[in-house]
Amino acid sequence: MASISSRRLAKELNEIHAQGCPVGIELKQADDFVTWRFSIEVMGESLYKGEKHLLQFRFDPSYPISSPAVQFVVEDGREAPIHPHVYSNGHICASILGNEWSPVLSVVAVCVTLQSMLASCKKKERPVDNDRYVKNAPDNPKKTRFHYDGPYLFLRYLPATATRD
Amino acid sequence: MSSRDPMWYCHECHAEMRALMAPQPTCASCHGTFVEIMENPADDPREFSAHHPEDDAGPGGSPDEILLSLQTLLSRGFAERRRQQPSSSGFTFQVRSGGGARTFTFGGPNTLGARPGAPGGDQEPPTMTEYLRRDPGAANDGPTITGPLMAQYLMALLGHRNPSLFGMDGESMERGQYGDYVFSQEALDQVITQIMENSNSNRPVPAPDDKIQELPRVVLEEGSPLLEKDCAVCKDQFKLGTEDPDEQVVITLPCKHPFHEPCITPWLKSSGTCPVCRFALVPQPEHHSPGEGSSTGNNRPSPSPPRSTGGGSQPPNLFQTLYNIMGSSSNSSGSSSGSGNGNQQRRRSSSTPQPSRPTGDRDHIPGEWHEDLD
Repeated sequence: MASISSRRLAKELNEIHAQGCPVGIELKQADDFVTWRFSIEVMGESLYKGEKHLLQFRFDPSYPISSPAVQFVVEDGREAPIHPHVYSNGHICASILGNEWSPVLSVVAVCVTLQSMLASCKKKERPVDNDRYVKNAPDNPKKTRFHYDGPYLFLRYLPATATRD
Repeated sequence: MSSRDPMWYCHECHAEMRALMAPQPTCASCHGTFVEIMENPADDPREFSAHHPEDDAGPGGSPDEILLSLQTLLSRGFAERRRQQPSSSGFTFQVRSGGGARTFTFGGPNTLGARPGAPGGDQEPPTMTEYLRRDPGAANDGPTITGPLMAQYLMALLGHRNPSLFGMDGESMERGQYGDYVFSQEALDQVITQIMENSNSNRPVPAPDDKIQELPRVVLEEGSPLLEKDCAVCKDQFKLGTEDPDEQVVITLPCKHPFHEPCITPWLKSSGTCPVCRFALVPQPEHHSPGEGSSTGNNRPSPSPPRSTGGGSQPPNLFQTLYNIMGSSSNSSGSSSGSGNGNQQRRRSSSTPQPSRPTGDRDHIPGEWHEDLD
């Protein structure tokens, strides 16, 4: 029997193939149930107009109980978007990728959240501790315990179903 | 050379003699160069030696002696250094006194936060080893050890308690080991980063096994209304006749959200919350919300209050606000504070009946403070 993670990822992949991704999000690579890549573009007027960034998901066998490791790809000349929650090594400080992850969230939900994180940005700048973080950062962003509750490191997302109650 | 000329003292062989000027003063007895003229009775080099008899109390001796030796060594300049054979792991030197010689080795891992192995063009301070090995001619090329940093190295090396040698303020520094202090912004940053990364105050709290055991379980059967619903973890609809019989056991959380038992159990063991509405089976650390109304929405769902909390609805007070702000950095003490958790639990449940709260806990402080006094 397939593992829970591959079953769930297969289901998500089928849905993506069947229904397509939301506008601005494109599946670029999903050859296995370990690494997926999406391109992300903010539609309409925003500070990121015309930019396209590559977002990488890495899953471990306990997905969706454990969150995917999500980061922007910064190789082959690609850069992470300049945003107060995005470090120049591609790591993202977003609570839903850490403490507020829930198995209800899906890969597409994460993409949409990060897309709207960019869309709502008022000022293009790196996190204030970017240099310090990047210098010491682990390879896997999940090994970092970001602080989401500081005045500038805050992002929260709840699935729509949760607020309807 | 008249007999009124002062005598010299040799620190190496302890002879008192008239030094040979060749052209540097050299001991007439052992030809050592570690000689001192005895012209100031208040600073008699013999007393230095007599004060520290030739004890061989193992490598180390008294910290003062080592520091004085180091000071002497360093003040003699760098020419001396080139004669030393650096060992593979560090820099070794000897201090000879009378009958015995002591060997000291610098090197090994740098425990001060400065990262070893990266002395390149960046601003990293060098390790002691790198610094001492460097060719004096190239001394201006790389980063240098400043006075305070040197003191830091030495203090950490020796765990020494007498700062007067370094002209530091002994008053304020007496309490604690010198390894506890940092002298540069970078070292401070690293300490803070380390604290932040190790902080687990905001991590989800798992539900204990007995709590998971107590949850109501239903085995699916024909006509069950559950068959219309999905498990939010695997996103599959509940159905009969599955390969794995466990998948026909459904756990419904107190918030009424149903899950396959094999889906929800591992989640609860990592976080005692409902994946759908975040209803807390066990008190969870409160996520401090600065209330910026972020575009992704930060409305809490409305779980029914977990058990009765008795106190009724109570807005967060100043203490809770501070606790939330401070909590993350003081997790070591926070773990033992049951009251903190209790407060958060109350706050979480009390947020239910309030339809919308104006933005920002901070804005609330005066009002809440007032209410608390009532």
